Amino acid sequence: MSRLDSKTSGIINFLDLRKPSVKALYYILLLISCCIAFVCLAPPLWVFLSSLKNIKEFAQVPPTIIPHTFEPQKIITTWKTLNFTKYYINSFILVAGSVVCAIVFNGLAGYVISIIKPRGYRFVFNLILWSLMIPATINLVPIFKNIVALKLNNSYIPLWLSYGANAFYVLLFKNFFDEIPREIIEAAKIDGCPNLRLFYKIVMPLSVPIIIVVTIFSINASWSDFLLPYIVLKNRESYTVMIKIYEMSFGNTWMSADMKMLAVLYAILPPVVLVIFFQKYLTQGVVIGSLK
Amino acid sequence: MNKKMSGKLSNRLSENISGWLILLPSIVLFTFYIWEPMIYSLILSLNETKGFRMERFVGLQNYIDVLRDSVFHQALINTFFYVIWSLIIGFLVPIIVALIINEMVHLNSFFRFSIYFPNMVPGVAALVLWGFLFDPSEGGLLNAIRIKLGLQPSDWLQNPKLTIPLLIFIMTWKSAGSTALIYIARLQGINQELYEAACIDGAGIFRRIIHITLPELYSTARMLLIMQIIFVFQVLYEPLVLTGGGPNNASLSLMLLSYNYAFVDFVAGKSATVSVLVTLILMCLTFIYMKATKENNNV
Repeated sequence: MSRLDSKTSGIINFLDLRKPSVKALYYILLLISCCIAFVCLAPPLWVFLSSLKNIKEFAQVPPTIIPHTFEPQKIITTWKTLNFTKYYINSFILVAGSVVCAIVFNGLAGYVISIIKPRGYRFVFNLILWSLMIPATINLVPIFKNIVALKLNNSYIPLWLSYGANAFYVLLFKNFFDEIPREIIEAAKIDGCPNLRLFYKIVMPLSVPIIIVVTIFSINASWSDFLLPYIVLKNRESYTVMIKIYEMSFGNTWMSADMKMLAVLYAILPPVVLVIFFQKYLTQGVVIGSLK
Repeated sequence: MNKKMSGKLSNRLSENISGWLILLPSIVLFTFYIWEPMIYSLILSLNETKGFRMERFVGLQNYIDVLRDSVFHQALINTFFYVIWSLIIGFLVPIIVALIINEMVHLNSFFRFSIYFPNMVPGVAALVLWGFLFDPSEGGLLNAIRIKLGLQPSDWLQNPKLTIPLLIFIMTWKSAGSTALIYIARLQGINQELYEAACIDGAGIFRRIIHITLPELYSTARMLLIMQIIFVFQVLYEPLVLTGGGPNNASLSLMLLSYNYAFVDFVAGKSATVSVLVTLILMCLTFIYMKATKENNNV
């Protein structure tokens, strides 16, 4: 009760809450909030619990709504059967390279546009701004043609580099660098610090918050990336987790449904762990992202 | 003095050169992944193609063919229906969720975590997940509930009338939470004294929402509305993964049509034509967006 008595923020305040009708309204809203949380969390949870039913219950038609049996060891046996470690490693390789490219290339572009400002930089900046709304998937055929022309199909390199050309990340970096006090940069320049060293000795260490935001964004994006990897990586040995679960759901009909469900769980797990650890930065990131 | 000036000049020159050199890798990458492909799409769309190879220049023939194609008409209409349904289902949900969650003093961080949770589920995984729930057979999880309630199992996504609204429902499930967080951030920026003044004037909760909260959210909502339209206009993954554009092209979107032309029918020219048309529409929408944000900054 005491928490309601001290509520001073938001539309409803503690004075309103002294009225029984408003108090009732608050509890109705609380109930609705619980329903919202349920709608958000229940579908994955339900699929997860269903996948852990024993074979007999799983084969039942219509399926049981609340599972009666629970076999958590299926998580490990399915992992081994599908050899999922391989796809995890592939996805991790994709993510690691993508994050490095996202930070280095977009960071450098933001640095030149925000701080060095060579003659005519505005033209490039405007082109980048215009690419902001052009999704990568829209010109898939020419991108694929370029990749094939360099004989880079079946390799992670074009996928990594694709994260180096992200207008949104460039803008995030540029806006952050704009806030760095010019005196620091001028002082370093007078000392004869060359541009590249200025970037990694002074600008980058001052930009840790935005580096973290771009890192989280690009980890999430490259872990979930599907279309370009699907088109470029035709060798089964280099499949990522996303390609694998797509292929499992639509290619192999012989595979039992609970295995497919568990594979989806494996795909969800890393981003969830990431967010639980970096929740603070992420909310920050969502807000920064909205202010582009 | 002359020496000093020329020193300054060469200094600026070297500054310019090193600036462009540092920018060069980014320019190469943007050219490789975005700018050249856009121009190449335009050229491709003006040529007859065999597979991904250009055969001969045909002018606007591809455009005429595509614009006459009834499948294109269907995809165009469907895409607009995607947008309309996303406005009906997806626009108000994050606002209402934000308004409610922001008032909660109990379990506040739990609610925030849960509404953001669907956003963390990778796109393809989320779609496969909903595929299990919307399984049209009697073994589908949601059909299990229908059977329990004594109803006939539904076709869900296989029902041409339901397929677009359900795909939009899944998109909303996935992305409403992060949008709601943006609204919550905006709500917390509202000056608390406004509410206190309204209370003193005797304004009830409902009137406070109408006269204070909603006007404060207006500019954010306008921006997010346009971004949502741009986002939904490019819908591709959802029909590609869940329905393949079916049943009977009922969920075929423009981007999926472009994808099918390229990677199913192998007519790159037509695919590029659709891409160019979508890009043109997106550019118009982007232009409106930029105008809206500019006005927004002035207020």
